[in-house]
Amino acid sequence: MNRRMPIAVASVSFGALIFAAWLAPEHLGQITPELALKGPLEVGPFGTDTRGRSLVDYATQGAAVVALPALSAGILVGLFGVLGGLLRCLGSERVNAAIQWFSEIVGALPRMVVILVVALLLPREHRSLFPLAWTWALLAAPGAMDEAASVAERLGGSRFVEALRAHGYSARRIFLVHVVGYNLRPVVVRQGAETMMHVVFLEIALSYLALAENQPSFTHADSLKSWADLLKLGYPSLIPSLDYNSGHALWLALGLLGLVAVMSIAIGRAARAR
Amino acid sequence: MRLFAACLLPFIVPAVITGFIWSLPGDPASLICPPSVCGGTEALAERWNLNGGPVQFFTGWMANAMTLEFGNSWRLHQGLPVLELLTEAIPTTVSLIGLAALMVMAGALLATKGWLPRALDPLLRFMGLIPALVLALAGAAFIELTYGFDSFSDAGKIARLFVGAGVLGIADGAFTGAVLGTRTTFETEAQQRYVGIAILRGERLIENTLPNVAPALIGQMRARIIHLLSGAVIVEVILRIDGIGDLLWGGTLRQDFGVVLAAATLFATVSAVLLVVQAVLETLVALHVRRAPSGVRLERQA
Repeated sequence: MNRRMPIAVASVSFGALIFAAWLAPEHLGQITPELALKGPLEVGPFGTDTRGRSLVDYATQGAAVVALPALSAGILVGLFGVLGGLLRCLGSERVNAAIQWFSEIVGALPRMVVILVVALLLPREHRSLFPLAWTWALLAAPGAMDEAASVAERLGGSRFVEALRAHGYSARRIFLVHVVGYNLRPVVVRQGAETMMHVVFLEIALSYLALAENQPSFTHADSLKSWADLLKLGYPSLIPSLDYNSGHALWLALGLLGLVAVMSIAIGRAARAR
Repeated sequence: MRLFAACLLPFIVPAVITGFIWSLPGDPASLICPPSVCGGTEALAERWNLNGGPVQFFTGWMANAMTLEFGNSWRLHQGLPVLELLTEAIPTTVSLIGLAALMVMAGALLATKGWLPRALDPLLRFMGLIPALVLALAGAAFIELTYGFDSFSDAGKIARLFVGAGVLGIADGAFTGAVLGTRTTFETEAQQRYVGIAILRGERLIENTLPNVAPALIGQMRARIIHLLSGAVIVEVILRIDGIGDLLWGGTLRQDFGVVLAAATLFATVSAVLLVVQAVLETLVALHVRRAPSGVRLERQA
């Protein structure tokens, strides 16, 4: 299977996200009322907001809000997946029963409810996307562990490990190279990439819901703009009677969401087994 | 194990929340409602039963909850009984989730019957990627364009409910997952040797595979309904549907711990009920599978 295209797409989209986050200014640009709500053809590259500020700053600040928390959540889920697969390879019934318990309880919780409870309990001064992203990762962990364990089971579980031991392979080579590297990699990387995408969507949802009620966001400081601000700015353009020319903001927000979705799919495909 | 987990779930959620409050640095009362917002925290701690430690708070709250006494709203609708707020919101959320679940089940049925052509898979996969927020915004715009100022009339409210259910049923891969998940489960099972033998004997595919895939399908459906419960928060807020999700979000924004704790426990209880339903259905399927098929004589009897 040719993996060059997914690897290229994943690298470019992930690079673009990280680069945008790195470019993010601390504050939005100068207010220039005469440039308010200009489209991309008038003020490049993405147009302006209601105060004439470039939407590039919105895009880069939004990337800065989501990039690292989403990445860390993705890595965390991947690690949980690896753990689930390796524990299945150990073949311990007690451990497997404990994991099933954990999966049963955590998997039964509606994720958004847990996220909102965590958001409520976080002190205002410590509000950030990181704790919410890690909570999401914890809630996504049972699924990742279960899928990785199924892969390990199909592989032969503890019998596979014993067979490789009989061939004289070291534990490191068996577990890190054969189990994780060759067999669990496609599953855990895909799960991690999906979690990254979900954390980005979660941030946008939480920020938008807070914006809709004129409340501060749970995920970032008030001085920063999220991609949800672009959606909020662009939404009135869907209703022609409002005569609000902010469609460019809506398209930019949808484009950024699309970029994240494409990145997630491409990372998953890039990690597929040959 | 599933039944045991179901019994524990409604207790675990408030217990974890209580433990979380007391594990955070600082006084629980000022954590729940900062002094800058609520003023004197000592009086509030006494009123909210926060002054006796986590065990006293948890046992007191659970004992009251058992008698359906959730106290009053602390900030969202100050002074109103939480039970009253929940009772008003429950029917709306049940209708929303019920309609969305019907849509998801219809997807699973279409996949089972093979009525959805595979050519639609790319479209389904694309639809599955759309987040609930984006679809809900599109739905809100549709309502606004169709009903305008009448969007809060009875007809508008019904339209919101149906649009919300449609959004919930499609967004975040709900419908896509139901179709592709069900189809994959059946296809994997159809590759089993016993199925081939049954077909050679002139039996129907579905009658042989369904009892064996039913536990997996039931588990998938429970996971999807929990997913719908989760998405209901976003859909209810964006489409202004007065349900439990909207209540939970309002409570979170305004730091109304009384409402949030009750709503979260309610969600956990619904999830526990779903676990029980899954366990019962799995048991019934297992009993059905163990029965000898009609018309087949066992070796001993022969």
